[in-house]
Amino acid sequence: MKLSISRYNPDRDKEPYLQDYEIELVPTDHMLLDVLLRVKAQDNTLSFRRSCREGVCGSDAMNINGRNGLACITRTSELREPVVIRPLPGFPIVRDLFVDMTQFFKQYYSITPYLVNSEPPPEKERLQSPAERDKLNGAYECILCACCSSQCPSYWWNPDKFVGPAGLIQAYRFIFDSRDRATQQRLDDLDNDPYRLFRCRTIMNCAEVCPKGLEPVHAIERIRLKIAGVTEHVGGLDVHPPISPK
Amino acid sequence: MRIRFTGLKAWWVQRVSAIYMLLFVLFLLYSFGLHPVHAHPQWRGWVAQPGVSATFLIFFAALLAHMWVGLRDVLLDYARPAGLRRLLLVAVAAGLFGMAVWLLVILSRLQA
Repeated sequence: MKLSISRYNPDRDKEPYLQDYEIELVPTDHMLLDVLLRVKAQDNTLSFRRSCREGVCGSDAMNINGRNGLACITRTSELREPVVIRPLPGFPIVRDLFVDMTQFFKQYYSITPYLVNSEPPPEKERLQSPAERDKLNGAYECILCACCSSQCPSYWWNPDKFVGPAGLIQAYRFIFDSRDRATQQRLDDLDNDPYRLFRCRTIMNCAEVCPKGLEPVHAIERIRLKIAGVTEHVGGLDVHPPISPK
Repeated sequence: MRIRFTGLKAWWVQRVSAIYMLLFVLFLLYSFGLHPVHAHPQWRGWVAQPGVSATFLIFFAALLAHMWVGLRDVLLDYARPAGLRRLLLVAVAAGLFGMAVWLLVILSRLQA
């Protein structure tokens, strides 16, 4: 398999460049991450993040043939060669495929990503009805891999001011949680600023590249409607079969 | 001076104005389909009717508001640095305001 991988060493290189590799595939090379690990065995200066290798941790998000995805769940058999691999677009590059995610997580923390409820806790857990729980479907599955925010033009232009699709699908998850008591503050926080929520132009790249098939754009629209007072809906967010890089 | 921009209000303005403009275009197509206008005096007479005039006035108000939100969004997204953004926003606002005044002059002359 022919690969073209973006390389960048801040101590040596002025800007990133593509380096070609050729790897003889073996029957166990099912996913792109398997191949990348073999490239690394050949050239140990190549750096990239990975952890669970089964699409749960979100560490190995990268740009594969122009589309963001997780290397560990991208099938080698479906990839067009040479496979051009670059770091997540729009994020500062630390080294090779490693990007600096500080800004991304700052936006995530800005939406208060935890339940706020000062009522005395019951003896066991805070209960939800099945219908209330259903509203979180399509949002709680987000693994914060940053594929969506990194492919969002609105986030490219204003990463410091626009929360971005990943942060906003998390905001939805807490706004629509029946156990949360800070709904109004959460909505005010997003409404009182023309940037945080309203920079979304419904480009829908977020839904297109989500490796879990989630649709942050749908969450954003529901938050806007909730602020506008035009709700109530039933059920969770739309989910579609994920589209892998080709 | 600090200009305060809104999120939700602009979102509403954009949607409501879009719906009005769509209905207005349908109204125009319907009216011209039914009563084709062939000469300028005929056109003037038609627009000068108070009901039609008001419909036009609301259409242009919706169009200008829609343009403001759209252009404002483009500048909020892309114009850097903040000083240039402010300057361009003021220029757009002034341009749109000028068009509004011009339009009022035209429509009021029709009534005279």
